[in-house]
Amino acid sequence: MQPENFSPKDSLLLIDSMINQAKNRFTDNGFLYLLWGWVIFACAIFHFVAIKFNLFKHPEFVWMVTWAVVIVQVIYLVKAKKKEKVKTYSDGIIDAIWICFGICMLVLTIVMGRFNLWVYINSLVLLFYGIPTFLSGFVMRFTPLKLGGIACWLLAIGSTFVAPIYYLILLAVAVLIAWIIPGYLLRKKFKNQN
Amino acid sequence: MEFKELDPILHSQLRLAVVSLLISVREAEFTFLKEKTNSTAGNLSVQINKLKDAGYIEVTKQFSNNYPQTICKVTKKGIESFEAYVNALQSYMNPGKE
Repeated sequence: MQPENFSPKDSLLLIDSMINQAKNRFTDNGFLYLLWGWVIFACAIFHFVAIKFNLFKHPEFVWMVTWAVVIVQVIYLVKAKKKEKVKTYSDGIIDAIWICFGICMLVLTIVMGRFNLWVYINSLVLLFYGIPTFLSGFVMRFTPLKLGGIACWLLAIGSTFVAPIYYLILLAVAVLIAWIIPGYLLRKKFKNQN
Repeated sequence: MEFKELDPILHSQLRLAVVSLLISVREAEFTFLKEKTNSTAGNLSVQINKLKDAGYIEVTKQFSNNYPQTICKVTKKGIESFEAYVNALQSYMNPGKE
C-alpha cells in the first residue's frame, strides 16, 4: 500500500473494510467455557452419583477441584494476554462482566453462609450463571450463549420444583447448554476465522 | 458548493487504514496492523511514526517473552481528526447536502 491520491469513495471503502475486519474479529476460542463447563459438569454428576449410591462420606469435597481450575485459568489468562495482538472494546466489557460474576458468586456464598440460607443457593447459582452467559452472548452477538443464559434462568425456576439432589442434574444440564455447547461452537468459529 | 479540505495526514491509504483499524479496537500490536493492512514492516513503521508525530496515535514499545512489541492506540486528537475527515469525505460524496 503506497501513499497516493485516491478518491473520497475509495477512502470510504477502505475505512469500511478496515472497520469490518476489526469488528468481525472473534477473539474468544471457547477454551474457558469448555474448561469450566466440563469441570462443573463432571463435579455435578460425580456429586449426584456419590449421594445417590452413598459412595462417600463427604461427596461435596469434589468441588474443591474448582480451586485447581482457578489456578489453571489464571495461568492460561496470563499466557493468553501475552500472545494477544489486539485488544477490542468488547473483550474489555466481557472481562468486566465475568469479574463481576466471580465477585457476585463469592459474596453470594458468604451471605448465604452467614444467614444459613443454603436452601436458596441452588436456584441463585443458576440465576447468576445466566447473567454473564447472556451478557457475553449479547456483547459478542453470539446467539448460543444468549440461549444458554436464558436456559440457566429457566432451570433456576425449575430447581424450585425438584428435590435438592436433582439440582445437581439441573446444574449439569445448565453448564452443558450454557457453556459446553457454546464453547465448542466458539472454538469452531475461532478456528474457521484463523 | 464548497468541498472541505481533506486532512493530508489521513488522506493516505496506509495511514487511513491504520487509523480506521485503531478506531475500532482499544489497542493493537504492530503485527496485527501489518497483517490487516497487508503492508511491509518498513512502510508501516514510517507511516506509524508520521501518525505518532501528528499526535493521532500513541505508540508504546515493550518486551514480551524477550521479543519487542509495539502497541498502537488512537488518541483523542486522532479520533477527532478521523471524524472531521469522514465529514469532509461526505461533503465530496453528497455535495448538494452542504
